[in-house]
Amino acid sequence: MMRHLPAIIFLLPLALAICMPLLGMRKQAWCRPLAIIAMAVMALVAFVNLVGVVQTGGIHYEFGGWAAPVGIEWVNDGLASVMIMALSVMALVCVIFISSVLFPNLGTRVVHFYTLVLLLVAGLVGIVFAGDLFNLFVFLEVSALCGYALVGLAGGKALVAGFRYLILGTFGASLYLLGVGYFYAETGTLNMADLALRIPDLVSSKAVAVGILFMFIGLGIKMALVPLHGWLPDAYTYAPDRVTPMLASLVTKAALLGWVRILFWVLGAKAVIFQIPVLFLVGFLGAVAALIGAFLALSQEDIKRMFAYGGLSHIGLILVGISMGNHTGFSGGLFYLLTDAVMQGGLFFWAGALIHLYGIRTIHDLSRLREAPGWLSGVLVVLAMSMIGIPPTGGFFGKWYIVLGAIEARNYLAIVAVLIATLLTLAYFVKLFERIFRDRVAGQVETVRDIPLAVRICLGTASASAVILGLLSDQVIGFLLRTAIPPGL
Amino acid sequence: MFELVQGWLQRPNYFAFVLLFLWGIYIMVTRYNLVKKLIGMYLMQTSVIFFFVTVSYKEHATVPILIDPTEVIRPEIYANPLPHVLTLTAIVVGVATLGVSLALADAIYKKYGSLDEEDILKKLE
Repeated sequence: MMRHLPAIIFLLPLALAICMPLLGMRKQAWCRPLAIIAMAVMALVAFVNLVGVVQTGGIHYEFGGWAAPVGIEWVNDGLASVMIMALSVMALVCVIFISSVLFPNLGTRVVHFYTLVLLLVAGLVGIVFAGDLFNLFVFLEVSALCGYALVGLAGGKALVAGFRYLILGTFGASLYLLGVGYFYAETGTLNMADLALRIPDLVSSKAVAVGILFMFIGLGIKMALVPLHGWLPDAYTYAPDRVTPMLASLVTKAALLGWVRILFWVLGAKAVIFQIPVLFLVGFLGAVAALIGAFLALSQEDIKRMFAYGGLSHIGLILVGISMGNHTGFSGGLFYLLTDAVMQGGLFFWAGALIHLYGIRTIHDLSRLREAPGWLSGVLVVLAMSMIGIPPTGGFFGKWYIVLGAIEARNYLAIVAVLIATLLTLAYFVKLFERIFRDRVAGQVETVRDIPLAVRICLGTASASAVILGLLSDQVIGFLLRTAIPPGL
Repeated sequence: MFELVQGWLQRPNYFAFVLLFLWGIYIMVTRYNLVKKLIGMYLMQTSVIFFFVTVSYKEHATVPILIDPTEVIRPEIYANPLPHVLTLTAIVVGVATLGVSLALADAIYKKYGSLDEEDILKKLE
């Protein structure tokens, strides 16, 4: 039974997504509780799986009993189990947020909506577990297709943003698939563990080098690495407010995780293409992304758009962390990935709640927030502390370990990039807080609505987890160092 | 230069793949009509599938199915089935993408009454 936990985690959202239209035809009211229950069970199973991996050290799950190079396998190791745990908890919180009464009623579309959300979660689970390059492509596309549809669901401008997301996302996926094709043509295998044995002998091969480049660009579009981020700001700004937290906290991070898997478990940390170490390339682009993302966030007026650019900058910071080529930086980067999923989710919960409770969309409306209960601003303060990196929040310890890793690697430019990105993050949050606490122009008082319980739970969980991750950072980093370090790093 | 062209001519199928791929990107970038963009996208996706097929091509090869269980297995007469299976999955993914994209294009047309990107961007403002 323990062996089959990865498949069970995947099948829970998938099976429910398939059953949803059938159940929804009978009774639409079932969709919401069923989705929440499925996510809760998934989180529970993910926790059992995590405990099992800690005790036994992880397994390779073979589908249909076919052994690895012939069959398809999933890797259920320390990295995957931690990420699945975080993913399922975040998915649970996001589904609670999605089903909140705060948002306009979806009517008959509710069935399709939950089907898409559950399929998205299933695809993301597949990305995290995949131990096979082609399998990774399929799950990338499953989750991306649901993402396009969910973005477009809001209608109006969201349709155009969703269309652009689709064009660019498909371009990225095609490049990734082409890279996989190059790898296959050169090695004759798609299994990651099998590839890892054959790639070192082929380092001088041009086909492998070009394949790496195509895969990186393809996944770079999916993870919205800065020069390739064109789709993200519009998509996240115009996407329905209820799904933005889920997209922002999970989708780009899953693609990033796929790249971590390929970079460290297939290519190895010492891979070199065209005389440039891949880690250097990743770290350089990450530093650029961290700076440009934070800089662009500073000049935004729309709150959701500002947070979207902030997310771009954090993708860059994670890449800086993992590219330091030592254990400290790698575990710091992964820890920052976990924290960032929580922070992005929390920030978009906050932005979504503000739009629907008080009609606040841009920072000019923020002075109206003074009519709101004080804890709503308190939540933002906690999340902002984590985004900027002020102890005792998770964001601080993530950046701390990334900087420690950079010192260990004697990469002082990376430290400078992290510090400047931190200052820019501080600057755009100061801009927000100035509007909330100092602006003298009193807006007209809206009819103050009660904040629904679901939204309170989501905001509370997100801000609490940002602090808890910080307080438990020693344990989490220690765990990552023990179980999630790739071979050969 | 001569060697380069010679190399292309010796591998016409790879040349065709590169041509199709770049052609698809060219259409996607230069055309303003959303459906034409989708045609370019589909052309690009199909060219990658074509690449998988051409990599696995083997002359005079047959499908790896044993007609008689006692038959002697001769690997050299069979074509590699894996790329073809991958191709099948990639086609399914491509069809699903096309479905979603046409639905989005249709919704955009209903909302803005145009498929021209410039028109739509003007109406967005």
